[in-house]
Amino acid sequence: MTIVTGKAEARRRLQPGWSGALRKIWEHRADYAYVLPAIAVMLIVIAYPIYYTVELSFFKTPPGLQLRDKTFIGFDNYTTILTSQVFWKVTWNTLIWTLGSTFISFVLGFATALALHRDFIGRGVLRAILIIPWVISAVAASYIWKWIYHSDFGVIGAVLVGRGLADQPPNFIDNVSTVLPSLIVVNIWREFPFAMIMMMAGLQTVPDQLLRAAKVDGANAWQRFWHVTFPHLRNVSVVTMLLLAVANFNSFIIPWIMTGGGPSNASHIWITHIYELAFGRQRWGVASAYSVLLFLTLMTLGYFYVRALSGNERKEGSA
Amino acid sequence: MSTIAETAPRAQTRRRMRVDGWRWAGRIFLVFMLLYTALPMIWMLITSIKSGFAATQFPPQWWPDEPTLASYQKLLDPQNSVGQDFLRFFWNSLFVSTVTTILSVIVAVPAAYAFSRFSFPGRNFLFFAVLLRNMFPAVIFLVPLFILMRAIGLINTHGSLILTYLTFGLPLAIWLLKGFYDNIPVQLEQAARIDGATRFQAFIMIVMPLSTPGIIATAIYSFIGAWNEYIYAYTFLSKNEQLTLPVGIQRFFSENTTDFPGLMAASFMMSVPVVVLFLVLQRYFVRALTEGAVKH
Repeated sequence: MTIVTGKAEARRRLQPGWSGALRKIWEHRADYAYVLPAIAVMLIVIAYPIYYTVELSFFKTPPGLQLRDKTFIGFDNYTTILTSQVFWKVTWNTLIWTLGSTFISFVLGFATALALHRDFIGRGVLRAILIIPWVISAVAASYIWKWIYHSDFGVIGAVLVGRGLADQPPNFIDNVSTVLPSLIVVNIWREFPFAMIMMMAGLQTVPDQLLRAAKVDGANAWQRFWHVTFPHLRNVSVVTMLLLAVANFNSFIIPWIMTGGGPSNASHIWITHIYELAFGRQRWGVASAYSVLLFLTLMTLGYFYVRALSGNERKEGSA
Repeated sequence: MSTIAETAPRAQTRRRMRVDGWRWAGRIFLVFMLLYTALPMIWMLITSIKSGFAATQFPPQWWPDEPTLASYQKLLDPQNSVGQDFLRFFWNSLFVSTVTTILSVIVAVPAAYAFSRFSFPGRNFLFFAVLLRNMFPAVIFLVPLFILMRAIGLINTHGSLILTYLTFGLPLAIWLLKGFYDNIPVQLEQAARIDGATRFQAFIMIVMPLSTPGIIATAIYSFIGAWNEYIYAYTFLSKNEQLTLPVGIQRFFSENTTDFPGLMAASFMMSVPVVVLFLVLQRYFVRALTEGAVKH
């Protein structure tokens, strides 16, 4: 919408002396029609909510979303958050969750892609099976794993007891010290296929001649990987890891369905905590302030994301 | 070349041994990953054909003594209240996902084309603004969108979901499709224009058919995203008859916490459409990632 009004305004102001930039915009007016639908949807569903979240974060809000009764309190919501113990606990969890899931998913996905790179019988079938966890709903995945981890009838517990490794079935997700690693295992289960697909696609772009040349020069398998394949995949790796990191930082379903953040906040990450503050405890102002902090963190990540992407563009341009 | 041929055989035996070592490590690793991936799904299937009693035995029955399809029958029986709910959720999910998919292709195709072909001022800015959408979690948008949807009367309708799902499918869709258009030579269109086609005709008749794999990939991505989405549906919908599958199943099983075979059967059936869709069309998807994302 803003583009349309902006254009009308531009036309009005343009009549005397056409300045270069505006003339350019005017000359390309038809091009904007192609992107307008996409931008319009984005503006409604993104720009407005961001503005509103920032505004709400400075207000004390009554429960029940009767937002006419809100009162301005400046930065109080932010001080409340930064001085609370839960915040640091949740931040630490988020860090472990994001870094752990991202790194392990990437390494497993990359290794699988390398192992699948050579052709063998059943390769297509194997690849298809390995991708399935990524496709199925995170809700279904959460329930499957919740059942596997079940404290009385869970299959892992039964195997451990059957092998004599435990006296009684361990309680994976009701235990403060094991809950987060257990959830990370589920998350990796769902996410390594994405890294695998990306890296498989990347591997196809490594020129065979280079690898053969390295082989002729006497490089062993590890040296070929480390000095030829890996440098070639640097850009894909960076993009994949960033996408994974963002997805992990933003994940909600697995912790929410499996534990709801418990026991005693041991599996709360930022997103689930914000959700609980907003829709559980109806503290909209505090939740909004949290969102703004989250937003700032993501902007920092986003800076690297765009740099990685545009770095690729530049390379393509020069090639 | 002659020197290579001479030196190669000498080092061959030792090198083959080392290569074989790596290859064996790769195979063992693949077996491990296969088990990690497949065992949970197999356990889901085995549990889903148990009776409620058989599922809660200790030690577990590795294969049920009396396999039964009772859970599936219950979920798919329109006479039964459970079946009615499940089938309605299924239909709702199908409706929302299909409409989202169609709309996102309609919106993404021209946008991606413009980002690829035209160099209008602000192009890069707008492109990255669209991509940045992927950075932000649903939670940031949830409260304001809830208020917005309430204000425009979309709360408790599937329209609220479709509008929201559009935006999170679009960034990747536009990115993938742009990669495709970048690879289609402009000369093809120019030739068509010289032959008298308008820009729009050239787009419809030359560019669209060539980018079909990208469009299919985009469509799969949108469909799977919409089918699996949980958090918006959980927040925007409160009437039982409108719920989509992920939320519906969660609501249902938070009331029937011990019906594990039913839960596993429902999880399985919820996964079937997207898995089948993906397996049938995965070639396009992997190709789109190669052309769109990786070659950049």
